[in-house]
Amino acid sequence: MISKPISDLDQLNAAPARRIPLALVDLRPLLGWILPPLIALLLVAVAVEIWARVADVSIWVMPRPTTVLENFFTDFSRYFSEGLKTLGVSLGGLALGTAAATLLAAGVAHSQILERAVLPIAIMVKVTPVIAFIPLFIIWFGYNPAPKIAIAALITYFPVLINAIAGFRDVDPRMHDFFRSVDASTWEIFRHLRLPAAVPYLFASLKISVTLSLIGAVVAEFFSAGQGGLGAVISIEYDNLRVERVFAAVLMLTLIGVTLSTAVVVAERLFSWRLDQPVSAS
Amino acid sequence: MTYQTKEGGQLEAVSPTSLTIRAGEFTALVGPSGCGKTSLMRLIAGLTPSSGGEVLVFGQTPREAQRHKRLGLVFQEPALLAWRSVEDNVRLGLQLNPRETHSSTNVDELIDLVGLSAFKRYRPAELSGGMQQRVALARALAIDPPLLLMDEPFAALDEITREQMRYELQRLWSISHDPTEPPRSAVFVTHSVAEAVAIADRVLVMSPRPGRIIADIPISTPRPRRPEHEHSDRFVNDTAIVRAALRSPTTPAVPLDAA
Repeated sequence: MISKPISDLDQLNAAPARRIPLALVDLRPLLGWILPPLIALLLVAVAVEIWARVADVSIWVMPRPTTVLENFFTDFSRYFSEGLKTLGVSLGGLALGTAAATLLAAGVAHSQILERAVLPIAIMVKVTPVIAFIPLFIIWFGYNPAPKIAIAALITYFPVLINAIAGFRDVDPRMHDFFRSVDASTWEIFRHLRLPAAVPYLFASLKISVTLSLIGAVVAEFFSAGQGGLGAVISIEYDNLRVERVFAAVLMLTLIGVTLSTAVVVAERLFSWRLDQPVSAS
Repeated sequence: MTYQTKEGGQLEAVSPTSLTIRAGEFTALVGPSGCGKTSLMRLIAGLTPSSGGEVLVFGQTPREAQRHKRLGLVFQEPALLAWRSVEDNVRLGLQLNPRETHSSTNVDELIDLVGLSAFKRYRPAELSGGMQQRVALARALAIDPPLLLMDEPFAALDEITREQMRYELQRLWSISHDPTEPPRSAVFVTHSVAEAVAIADRVLVMSPRPGRIIADIPISTPRPRRPEHEHSDRFVNDTAIVRAALRSPTTPAVPLDAA
């Protein structure tokens, strides 16, 4: 229950003077974390390169890393612009899913009836492979980004819902007593007690759902190849047996994934008052 | 003249009890663990509904007293908002239910009075337990409540801090108070006899569960109290009376349960 900075509007007038030093300022300690995996990755790439050359592996099976990189940089503008589409779908779904889940969680945290009505359905949706809805969503929403965003939203929804409910309820009972003792309204208790208490939980779930939303976006794009996006690129180039382009598209997806995850971590450092994260639901 | 602030009713953990706490009086409630001290306090604060009987706080129900922000609560744990600075934690009571904020409390002054002016911008986690409890005290006093309810507020502190806080509390208790309200009263729950005698004007002794009030002992040491008074004959005498009441025939010599 105890620790550092905050997330909501309170913090604007709270205590900007006493902020944790950010890794953004001093990058040196970060190098210790970034360099080892980069070197490991490079070694793997070199090993694959040697293997592909020595064993003369077919380009349809395992294109050489240098071939993939060459294609990646030659066609960079294509991967970049298709990547932006995928990113847009992913972020749109994430925003929609997170907003809807947080709102519902706020309701559930206040009403047992709502909890009983909603949670079983939410769990049903969770155990159903959401991807299976893609063809249906395309029929419903049409040949546009909407069904893809809907899939990304649906796939991010559950972890946020469960974490937000837990967060809204993780309130010190004595603190709650104090709010009651001055006749604070339900809204005041929510705004000044439950919502800030839930912020670390929301960030924990965001870490999970940000990558889930990317999965949702890519798989949805497989089904609507005419509309572009990296999922569409993979689907098309797979049909063309241009495996090096498939790899290049995957590389771009990896970069997007790393960027998104890093953004969440940085946002958490900036906005969350707690650094020791609660265990998150998957 | 006595001013009736409230009457105790019966509740699950507490057997039929009737008590009146006089305005302007500092009352300590002592008794063995589990005797219902906390239940009684929560009843007065309107946090637990009464199963019968009536609680009146300055002639109002506890709910009405909450609505008019006439109750200042301090718990055993500081229960501060971890994401707010000291300053904003103290301000909390003023900020909530703002229609009833009529007190002209100067938050800066209050923080100064609890000796934390250098720590205004700090977060609770950066403070010691004693400092956190001072913030909780300042938060309770910020709404200038005519009734201060404290549930073992110093129990979690180390002994040195605890003894210091007694006299600090006495000083804070008497500060700036709205003259249109009745003089400030306090109910202080503790299981430390020395603490009760050092702070209170009147010590109420409760029996083990089901709790009831078995003794009502006035404390004669004059105010303002000072630490030296704890060595005075009066203090020793009053302490002995309270201890004797706790051991009285209705109370087993050894507490039945340490729950």
